[in-house]
Amino acid sequence: MSVKYIPVQWNRNKWLYDAVMLVGVVLFLWLFIFVSPELLSHEFPINPQVHNARAFGACAFVMLTVILCIGPLARIDRRFLPLLYNRRHFGVMTVFVAITHASYILNWYFAFSSSDKYEALLFANTSYGQLAGFPFEIFGVFALLCLAVLAATSHDFWMKFLTPPVWKRIHSLIYFAYLAVVAHVSLGILQDQQNHTFTVIFIGGALAVAGLHAYAAMLDWRGGDERGADIDGWIDICDAGDIREGFAKIKILPSGDRVAVFRQDGRLSAISNACAHQNGPLGEGRVIDCLVTCPWHGFQYDVTNGRSPAPFTEMVPTYNIRLNGAGVQVHRDANPPGTYVEPVQIEVTA
Amino acid sequence: MSDKNNPFFVGYLPVPGPLRRFLLLASVLVVATFLLTGLLIGSTQDEPPASGFRFDYGRQTVTGVIELTPYPLLRVTQGNDLIKPGKTLMLTSGGKAGVDMRAMGLEGQLATVSGIILQRGTIDMMQLRGGRQGLAAAEGDPPEMVTEQLGRWKVAGEICDGKCLNGAMRPGRGLAHKACANLCLLGDVPPVFVSTQPIEGSDFMLITGPDGTRLPDAAYNYIGQFISLEGDLERRGDILVLRMDTTTMELIDG
Amino acid sequence: MNQAELILFIVKLWGAAGALVAIPFLIFGIDRLDEDARGAYVFRPLLVPGILLIWPLILWRWYILADGKDEWSHRYRPRRHNHQWFAMIMPVAIIVIIVAGLSVRQSWPADILPERLAPPAEVSE
Repeated sequence: MSVKYIPVQWNRNKWLYDAVMLVGVVLFLWLFIFVSPELLSHEFPINPQVHNARAFGACAFVMLTVILCIGPLARIDRRFLPLLYNRRHFGVMTVFVAITHASYILNWYFAFSSSDKYEALLFANTSYGQLAGFPFEIFGVFALLCLAVLAATSHDFWMKFLTPPVWKRIHSLIYFAYLAVVAHVSLGILQDQQNHTFTVIFIGGALAVAGLHAYAAMLDWRGGDERGADIDGWIDICDAGDIREGFAKIKILPSGDRVAVFRQDGRLSAISNACAHQNGPLGEGRVIDCLVTCPWHGFQYDVTNGRSPAPFTEMVPTYNIRLNGAGVQVHRDANPPGTYVEPVQIEVTA
Repeated sequence: MSDKNNPFFVGYLPVPGPLRRFLLLASVLVVATFLLTGLLIGSTQDEPPASGFRFDYGRQTVTGVIELTPYPLLRVTQGNDLIKPGKTLMLTSGGKAGVDMRAMGLEGQLATVSGIILQRGTIDMMQLRGGRQGLAAAEGDPPEMVTEQLGRWKVAGEICDGKCLNGAMRPGRGLAHKACANLCLLGDVPPVFVSTQPIEGSDFMLITGPDGTRLPDAAYNYIGQFISLEGDLERRGDILVLRMDTTTMELIDG
Repeated sequence: MNQAELILFIVKLWGAAGALVAIPFLIFGIDRLDEDARGAYVFRPLLVPGILLIWPLILWRWYILADGKDEWSHRYRPRRHNHQWFAMIMPVAIIVIIVAGLSVRQSWPADILPERLAPPAEVSE
């Protein structure tokens, strides 16, 4: 939220969220690093450096997979939205796990030679012309770089400074990072491993991410927001009675922007559907304590002027609104953020 | 999209009652996922073969004749309890480096080497100590050493770096290890060919380029992959040396 | 200088340029651009890695904001079509990559026997 920036904003739910994720990650690493060598009881054990590199690498993969499942899950079933709420912290945690994996590899496979280990990483294998034997490390480097950019730009300052659409576009790098990780694993350890437990878990995880995204995209595509027709600058939204108290109807305007028409105390107001914070879908939120509340991170706005309550300073654009018989119409042009628009009164119906 | 019956979560407010059980379940699922995957992946890794540094043998010092293939070998003439005369040792430095420069002036001469043994099957390698403590000319006339020619062979298997294969790294072969193997080979660690079936009693052999050259650049694209190739085979003491014909290298299908 | 050295040199240059951007930006630039940053100093070191990584973007936004060229309507235009596109392409790409990886996977050809093609030549060495 607004008001002076601080390094990390905590609240009880975020603590709980981070605690659950941390417990998962610590359990994973503890079981992998300390318990599994006992279970394996190899006569000539895997080098600890390789064992640890695998532990952190596999952990980063599982973390990334869980992170990427949250988005589509929240679109398929809104009850998963709380998992989206603090996903950024989990993402930052993932980067540290991935960096640990990378440093074990660098300090083992690329160390002990007369060359600098970072140079060695770049020149040791240059078989770029083939799939098997391809320098798969480069996919790992790319993924790590993407994750580093995401983590480094995760503070709320960046969203406001870069604007949410640019920020979101940068953070779409996560998809490329995941593809790179899939390639990194497919052309790396998958080529050698004789026991296929990891292969099955890896493919299962990657297919879960693939399937959930495809399914959520299909749902969006079939049941997504409708486009409104432009009649002399005014767009039909719906019948006034169709909007339930405290909720909104969303419509896509000819410009491609989405408008959310809310009903509060029997009166209708129209604001941009895009939250000022992360462009979350305000129209899928609801009115709480007379304020429209974003379903993603709980940013709140006065529906008549699109302004966050003091001391916060976020604003969203508003739209002129009118009744045309029983129907609600919104003007296609947005008013500058924070512009007051007189709500229209509708007949109270059941 | 909104549903009156759906509880609405706001991060900074207490979680609505009906959502609590769902989130508790989701948390348990997430933690269980980490627990299961960590345990399963960790405890199903492949077992590395019997190989490694034999620190338990202690430092070994033996004398023999240096031969450059061009990768230096020591044909042991004066051994000890562990390393008998007739044994042939591949030589390497600490880290990812060979001893080519140190052995260069000693070809065909008697030399004393000292270091730690790396063992894998029948093939032994010695990681020499630094400087003259690890490798120095020895007094005496070098005896004549026999190199037995075994003819031209077609073999199938994998080119590895001899040091990691011998257990300096476990695992020390395959594609996930390829960059590391390349780095060793670029540093003149002796390359080793692992054959699918033993030849003349040995699964492993030192592999060189044609006509006493180093591993050719073309071979680097095949490191860690399963290939077939032809070459001239010879026996030097208890080690086989395969001089590859670069043009015959090809990937094995499947 | 080999290619690896050159790449690392460029990476270092990129980081150094980022540091040159980070110092003035965090000391005075940020105060002018974002009222929420005024008087807030503890969070600023957190921004350093981000600036080192994407400093050209910082310069661009700094220029836009300082010049008053920021178009408010752009802030409320999420790229939901892009997202849909990613969501459609990614599953296909995941499957293609895994299938490609598995298709080049070799198994140890344990059944191939070494074969002697020719006996040693009469005269050796």
